[in-house]
Amino acid sequence: MTARVETRAEDGAMHIAVSGEIDLANAAAVEDQIREALSHSPETVSVDLTDLTYMDSAGIRILFTLAYRLKPLRIMLRLIVPLDSPTRRLIELSGFESLASLQPQSQ
Amino acid sequence: MGKGFFAGRIAAEKQPVIIEKVDHTNVLNPILRERGLYSLLGVPLLISGTVTGVLHVGTLTPRRFTDNDVRLLQIVADRVAFATQSRRAEIERTAATVLQRSLLPAQLPVVSGLEMAARYVPAEHGGVGGDWYDVFTLPSGWLCIVIGDVVGRGLIAADVMGRLHSALRAYALLGGDPTEVLGRLDQHVQHFDPETMATVVLAMFEPSLERLHLSSAGHPPPVLALPDHPAALLDMPSDPPIGVRGGLRRRATTITLPPGALLCFYTDGLVERRGSSLDVGLERLCASVMAGPVDSVCAKVMAQLVGHDPPGDDVALLAVRRQDSGEIGPFDLVKPALPWSLRDIRLEVRRWLSMVGAAPRTVADLLIAVGEASTNAVEHAYGPDGGTVTVHMELQPPNVLATVRDTGRWRPPHGVGRGRGILFMRNCSDDLRIDHGQSGTTVVIRRHLTEQASR
Repeated sequence: MTARVETRAEDGAMHIAVSGEIDLANAAAVEDQIREALSHSPETVSVDLTDLTYMDSAGIRILFTLAYRLKPLRIMLRLIVPLDSPTRRLIELSGFESLASLQPQSQ
Repeated sequence: MGKGFFAGRIAAEKQPVIIEKVDHTNVLNPILRERGLYSLLGVPLLISGTVTGVLHVGTLTPRRFTDNDVRLLQIVADRVAFATQSRRAEIERTAATVLQRSLLPAQLPVVSGLEMAARYVPAEHGGVGGDWYDVFTLPSGWLCIVIGDVVGRGLIAADVMGRLHSALRAYALLGGDPTEVLGRLDQHVQHFDPETMATVVLAMFEPSLERLHLSSAGHPPPVLALPDHPAALLDMPSDPPIGVRGGLRRRATTITLPPGALLCFYTDGLVERRGSSLDVGLERLCASVMAGPVDSVCAKVMAQLVGHDPPGDDVALLAVRRQDSGEIGPFDLVKPALPWSLRDIRLEVRRWLSMVGAAPRTVADLLIAVGEASTNAVEHAYGPDGGTVTVHMELQPPNVLATVRDTGRWRPPHGVGRGRGILFMRNCSDDLRIDHGQSGTTVVIRRHLTEQASR
C-alpha cells in the first residue's frame, strides 16, 4: 500500500489526512478507510492532501463520491490542498470546487 | 570406530595395529569376524596428521605380519588418503562454484540512466571464496548496490555468502538507510552465524540517481572517477565488519554522482598482492579507473591488476556509471496490465524524465498523462485472461513523446465519472492522439520538456 489515511475526530469535525500516492491499485482501500472514518456522522469533514504526492482520476473519483454522499446530508466538506501541491492542478481541472471548498492550508 | 578395538585403536594411536588371532575381544566389526578372518593388519589413512579412515588387510589362515608388510600397506594407505582428499576437495570446489554462480547475478538489472558491468574471477587454488556483489531495486524506486567479502574460503564461505546475500536483500526491503540495513545484517550474523565475519559496502541510489548514500562495514572504499578528473578512493569512514561484536554506531556518507561519473566497487583480492603493500594495489587501481564506458573500465582494471594468471584470492569488480543526459536513449517498459504495475511505471517514467532534464511541471503532467493511459489499459483493454501495457518514452527536442500501448480493445468506461481520465490526459499534454486499432489501443502524448502545457 502506498497511501496512508490518518483520521482525527474533533468535536463534530472529522479530519482526514491522506499521504502517499493514490492510483487504481489502492483507490478502493483508501476509499474504504475514508468511509470508515465517516461512520460517526460528523458535522464537517476536512480532507488534507498536503502530503499526497500523486493522484490521478482514481483519486479524483474518491473525492467526487465523497462529495456526492455528503451533500444531501448537509455535511460540509473542505479540501486542503497547498497551491504548489502536485495534486492541485488535477483537482482544479476536475471542477471539484463547485462541490466543496478548496483551501491551501488547514486553519 | 570403537575405542580399544581394532579400528578404534588405529585411529586413536595413529599407528599400525596387528592382530594375530581375531576374536570378539579385539574386533568389534561382525563382518570381519563372520568372514572367518584369522589375522589382521590395519594402518591409518592420514591427511596432515588427521585420521580420515583405516585401511586393513586380513588372512583366513594364521599369519605373522612383518615390518615390510606394515610399510607396504602404509604406502598404499597414504596414496588412498591423498586420492580421497583431492576428490573430496574437488566435490567441494564444484559445489561452491555452483552455489556462487547461482547467487551472483547472471545479468545486472537494466536501470535507465545507469550503465553497469561486473567481473568475478575465482582464486587460483581453493576455488571460489565468499566474494559477492548484488544490484537490485526496491519497491520505493531506490537502487541498492552491494559488494561483500565473507572471511574464509570454499564451500563454507560460499554458503555463508549465500545467506548474507539473501538476508541483506530482505533487510533492504524493510526500508531505511544503508547504516540501518547493515545494522540489521550485523544483528543477524551475530545471532545466527556467530562464527562469521564479512566486509560489505552498501550503496543506495535515490530514485532520481542524483545522490548516493553509502556505508562501509570494514570494506575498502569504492573508487570514484568524475569526468575529466583522475580517479580517487572515495573519502568515507569505514566501520567494523559485519559480525564483530560491540555496540557501535554505523556511519553513512552521501555523495552526489554527476552525469558521466563512475564508481568502482571491488573486493580486496583485486588490490592485495603477496610481496607488495595494499597502498600500491590501491594506487594501481585508481590509475586504471576513469569516467568512461563501464565495460572498458572493467577490462582495463582486470588487465592491469589481475592479468592472465589466476589471482591468489577471488576477485569481484563492479563498475557503475551515471549516463550523461545526451546518452539517454528512448525508454521501453512492458508491464502486466495489472493495477500494481502503475506504480512501477510511474517510478521508471519519473526516473527517465529526470535523466533527460524535464522540468518539474512536465514531470508532474506526464506522470498523470501516462498514468491515465496506463490505467485505461489496465481497466479496459483486456478480459480476464489479461495482457500487457507497453510504455515508450523518447526525446524529440524540445518535446517528449510518450506512447502507451495495449493489445486489447478498450471497453467503454462504465460508471459515473469514469471518463475523467481522458480529460486529464488532454490537459496534461500539448498534443494527444488516441488510436483504437484492430490490434489494440495506442495513446501518443506530446509534451514540451520545460514549458507549460499549451492548454
